[in-house]
Amino acid sequence: MTAAVEFQNVSRHFGSVRAVDGVDLTIAEGSFFAMLGPSGSGKTTCLRLISGFEKPTSGTIRIFGEDVSSVPPHLRNVNTVFQDYALFPHMNVRDNVAYGLMVKGMGRAQRHAKAEEMLALVKLSGYGDRKPAQLSGGQRQRVALARALVNEPRVLLLDEPLGALDLKLREAMQDELKALQHKLGLTFVFVTHDQHEALSMADHLAVFNEGKIAQIGTPQDIYDRPATRFVADFVGSSNVLPPELTRALGGPPQWASLRPEATKLAATGPVSGPVTALRYLGSGTRVVIRAGETEIAALVPAGEPVPAEGEIRAIAFAPQALHLMGEA
Amino acid sequence: MSAPAILPARGAADRLTGVFWRRPNLLLLILVTPPLLWLGVVYLGSLAALLLQSFYSIDEFSGVVKEEFTLKTYAELFRAQNLDIILRTVVMAAAVTLACAILAFPIAYFAARYARGPWKAAFYLGVMLPLWSSYLVKVYAWKLILAKEGVLTWAASGTGTGFLIDGILSIPGLEGSSLSTSPFGTFLVFVYIWLPYMILPMQAALERVPNSMLEASADLGATRGQTFRTVILPLAMPGVIAGSIFTFSLTLGDYIIPQIVGNSSRFIGLAVYQLQGTAGNIPLAAAFAVVPIVIMLIYLTLAKRAGAFDAL
Amino acid sequence: MRSDRPSLLLKITAIGGLLFLHLPILFIFLYAFTTEERTYQFPPPGLTLKWFGVAWERPDIWPPLYLSLKVAAIATLMAMVLGTLAAAAMSRARFFGRDQLSLLIILPIALPGVITGMSLRSAFGIMDIPFSTWTIVLGHATFCIVIVYNNAVARMRRLSGGIMEASADLGANAFQTFRYVLLPNLGSALLAGGMLAFALSFDEVIVTTFTAGQQSTLPIWMLNELVRPRQRPVTNVVAIVVFAATFMPILIAYYLTRGGSETAGMGK
Repeated sequence: MTAAVEFQNVSRHFGSVRAVDGVDLTIAEGSFFAMLGPSGSGKTTCLRLISGFEKPTSGTIRIFGEDVSSVPPHLRNVNTVFQDYALFPHMNVRDNVAYGLMVKGMGRAQRHAKAEEMLALVKLSGYGDRKPAQLSGGQRQRVALARALVNEPRVLLLDEPLGALDLKLREAMQDELKALQHKLGLTFVFVTHDQHEALSMADHLAVFNEGKIAQIGTPQDIYDRPATRFVADFVGSSNVLPPELTRALGGPPQWASLRPEATKLAATGPVSGPVTALRYLGSGTRVVIRAGETEIAALVPAGEPVPAEGEIRAIAFAPQALHLMGEA
Repeated sequence: MSAPAILPARGAADRLTGVFWRRPNLLLLILVTPPLLWLGVVYLGSLAALLLQSFYSIDEFSGVVKEEFTLKTYAELFRAQNLDIILRTVVMAAAVTLACAILAFPIAYFAARYARGPWKAAFYLGVMLPLWSSYLVKVYAWKLILAKEGVLTWAASGTGTGFLIDGILSIPGLEGSSLSTSPFGTFLVFVYIWLPYMILPMQAALERVPNSMLEASADLGATRGQTFRTVILPLAMPGVIAGSIFTFSLTLGDYIIPQIVGNSSRFIGLAVYQLQGTAGNIPLAAAFAVVPIVIMLIYLTLAKRAGAFDAL
Repeated sequence: MRSDRPSLLLKITAIGGLLFLHLPILFIFLYAFTTEERTYQFPPPGLTLKWFGVAWERPDIWPPLYLSLKVAAIATLMAMVLGTLAAAAMSRARFFGRDQLSLLIILPIALPGVITGMSLRSAFGIMDIPFSTWTIVLGHATFCIVIVYNNAVARMRRLSGGIMEASADLGANAFQTFRYVLLPNLGSALLAGGMLAFALSFDEVIVTTFTAGQQSTLPIWMLNELVRPRQRPVTNVVAIVVFAATFMPILIAYYLTRGGSETAGMGK
């Protein structure tokens, strides 16, 4: 099977800034792929390289096997849901959605019928006559989605599509997007700086840092086995242990990560310290212990005794839970 | 069967779009060339022609332009009568600018700070309309108002303030049979015509003064007068300078107003107009036209140093 | 709460200043109806409508009116094309010479009209170009470009850049994007710029006197009447026509660009 999108050693430099720096990437057809990273890490530039709004300084990009280095955006059968939606303010919702069909020469009746179909898919039937300004943020987002999907693109690009929505709407839209992707079987490429969003929605993700991919894999891989300190820090789920602590715990002198769920408390052990913070999470209590310079979180399951702040505890874990990683 | 990932180009428009995409500078070049050619050739070319002409001279006997480089024409500018014209024009421009700044301030301040909703629109339109609407018609209106038998004389005699007009007309240098033939009349019309050019940049500058800053000043115990002097005025200054560039430059170059209202003493603009027309001395006319450019360049350099361009 | 109301003095001077800007125009209207044709006597000794008829019959008014309309129309069209192109170029990313170009566009109205006029006059002289309608148009188009340019640039700055990309993303080529996205969003600003350019050109006298030679536009006709008056109220009738021909486009331009603030919050 050909990959939906493939980057071969792709770079995009703006002057001396290496926005994207030697990226290799393969996105399988039908996958829900997330590009995760802090702002300025190159993830949005990668998305714009796929849509054609940026051109690589070097390297090759293939979409379904075809080299797109000389294909302008309007001939790429790839559509984007823009961060600010970029709806056409002078057109009503129906014409916005039908725009892609119009410029390809489809007749009025037919394209309006298709637009209505799409509006129904995103649960906006009956909104066709409104202007974008008359819609809420969530509704505009759906219009942007319908406008992109009506063209039956081979890849749908989403640039922080949920960034402007409030938390509740955001969670609802996450589920909907996931369901939609499943239903259409389309390849979705999703850019976000929100690690929870990426982990919960994507089936594969790439973590970007300073124009390079720090790690690529399934959410499980990224979560359980962060490849580098940066990934562990950014994904934020794991305890990051410096080499001296790793060695104290019986490992080689290397950076390591340790998930809080796998971390237990013990009365004594090689690494111990005072409890500095407690947070009740319902399913358990998150206990933070300060060992020298490092804070280590452990998850105490509900029903087990929870220490008080200031008490000294040591940490314990099953040997296979300690995950070694690289420096960068 | 799913659609292809790359769509075929459907015609010349699609292919051309592809060319523009691959060579973005080509599109830029196509966009920028016509206006650049126009302004570069027609306008800059003309300015160059003006400069060139100003270095020519006129044969005093035949009246024919001698197309040889000389500084003789510029030297003529320093004759007493010509220096007089330049000095008169600069003094007028300075006086007009000062009067415009004083008159514009309350309007700009009110519009920027207090006018809301429909009043805001009314003030904006109220300044925009006179700025854009017919220049000549406005000058003509003042001819009617200032004429000896006109509105102002009638109003003055009705209110017993005729002595004021007579007083102004008896000041040395401002003499005339009525305001419409006195330099003071010229001054009045200049102020009227260029006033909107002062109000707009001043209002823009004042609108950037946050109310909180004025309140802070009041909180710190400043009186209204102190707030005005130490906070509002310095912040309005860039706007005043921006506006003064217009009023100063426009007065320097105008030759219609002194021709219609005033004692027909000559200003730079009028000198240029008469020299190129009836006198046929195009080199001297060109040299005279260079004077406002030089004055404005000096003025702009000074204004730039005062930070006036941030308000434009 | 601290009271923050304008003082009475400020109110009076502000509103007085605004009236000062507008009242003089009214006398133009009044004097078009006076029965006195040799002086500017006030109050008019009597009122009459006859000057409108007289003006209509005067054969020397029509050719200048026709010339003014022609020049304004052609200059406006040229300025709209050139001003829009310049604005479109400016809306793109920074390029070499960008600041110089913007200065060059503004220069024709930043420098006094007498300089533009005298420059063109010098150039025509050096190149032996005879005066014609086109020499007038040349000057007018030059200072009208900036009017259209300013309007277009202001609108482009407000437009979300994303909509142009969105159009391309959805499969539109550059020409379709121009036709379906850029033009509808820019149209009213361009029209407003065109209106203002027309008003400016129709009314222009300073540059025109240098580029017209023996030809007479309506403002030049008026200027001659002001210097050597014949039937003074007829001049007023023409002044009313000139005033209306500039006033109406300005008003329309204002209404065309007024709604801008609503669309500015778009896309958020």
